[in-house]
Amino acid sequence: MAATDGKRKANRAGAEAGATAPTRRGDAAQAGALLAAALALPGVMPADALAQSAPDKGIFELQYLSYRDWQPGRNRMTVDAPAFYALIPINDTWVVEGGMVYDAMSGASPLYFNVLSGASIYDYRTAGDVKVTKYFGNYSVSVGGFVSSEQDFLSRGGSVQVQIYSEDRNRTYTLGFAGTNDYINATNGVAPNSRRNSLEFVVGVTQALTANSIIQSNLTYYTGHGYYADPYKPLDTRPTTRNTFAWLTRYNLHFPEPDATLKLGYRLLFDSFGSTSNMVEAAWVQALPWGWSVTPGLRYYTQSAADFYMNPPFPKGFKEGQDYSADTRLAAFGALTAGVIVGKTLQDGWSVAFRADMYRQDPDWRLGGTGSPGIQTFSARWFQLDLTKTF
Amino acid sequence: MRSAILSVLACLLTVTLAGCATFEPPKPWERGNLARPEMQFDYDRLDAKTQQHIYTSKEAANGGYGVGGGGCGCN
Repeated sequence: MAATDGKRKANRAGAEAGATAPTRRGDAAQAGALLAAALALPGVMPADALAQSAPDKGIFELQYLSYRDWQPGRNRMTVDAPAFYALIPINDTWVVEGGMVYDAMSGASPLYFNVLSGASIYDYRTAGDVKVTKYFGNYSVSVGGFVSSEQDFLSRGGSVQVQIYSEDRNRTYTLGFAGTNDYINATNGVAPNSRRNSLEFVVGVTQALTANSIIQSNLTYYTGHGYYADPYKPLDTRPTTRNTFAWLTRYNLHFPEPDATLKLGYRLLFDSFGSTSNMVEAAWVQALPWGWSVTPGLRYYTQSAADFYMNPPFPKGFKEGQDYSADTRLAAFGALTAGVIVGKTLQDGWSVAFRADMYRQDPDWRLGGTGSPGIQTFSARWFQLDLTKTF
Repeated sequence: MRSAILSVLACLLTVTLAGCATFEPPKPWERGNLARPEMQFDYDRLDAKTQQHIYTSKEAANGGYGVGGGGCGCN
């Protein structure tokens, strides 16, 4: 989503070179066949044109996120998060990538519904991941590991992903698998030394539809077992098994005039907790003169409530031994995000991007049913600065 | 849950078949625009991860963008 880079000029030059083919149909077909044959030779295909093959350029990215959220009359959490990401092609077939993030969180968190904890909370999270990918002829295999650590939480896991490319490189099949082990040890002593284990499977297909449009559709199944409650919310009791099924489809359409790209996304997600959600998002990436770009975006999200979410007042509906939650994140609501990214390509592979987003949850904005009664709106805004170097 | 999954699969199949009926995949020399960063789905992986983490911590839904993202104590 962030800024463009120096590849653009080269790509455009390549596209224009393709467009200078002979005009007579017979000549054009012959020239096309010859060009295709030439491009099929190893090492002849411009690496940039192989969107689904090994990247030929490295990336180093630094990011700073400043996040704040609130409800009417009260500020809630503030997060400052520096992060970095690097992708390094070792040679023509091996790529290593990874990153780290440090979240410093402070503020007040809800105990139940919109009642906030009296004392300020201070916590931090450090997370990192690394992935190694080996590209073979018509497929690639990635193996990754990740860890996320907080004062009261530790998550570790690994993943394997296989991508299979069609002969013409216009279609990619993705098969992936990940396993995660989470360890929860709340500072208030509730549910000490708790664990949950989960598995995640993804199958997907990406298809170049035309020279200017591409679509991707992924199915993801998650299954987990263990401790899912929030130990800092009184009486919060949740099922010990969670299964989710998500269907994500994304579509990108490029317009040579006015040199812009429309990016659309839709996700449908079923959760065994009882919540079903729909998300649609759209962004318009507009290239501007002198290396500038501007990307306005909108996202709409709506969810139904979890089966065990009970409406206010607290603790109405609570029964000993049964699942119960007054966490408004499990309520029925709609949410809207409006954001913009302003990017600038600099010299020598450097680019910079500034991102600003405004987010609001409102029970009245739910589609396909009524929102949960008796809860307040929730708002957030975040700013993000990205500095990227391609090499 | 099972009927919901079946209806999603039916929708997916319909969309895929409809798409196959109309698209014209590009030739190798026509892929210049597809290689542009903004035409790729996960070009800026750090940005994508940050955005997904924010939404995961504030909404019930979690995932769908692939495997191996790692957990957090925020949801």
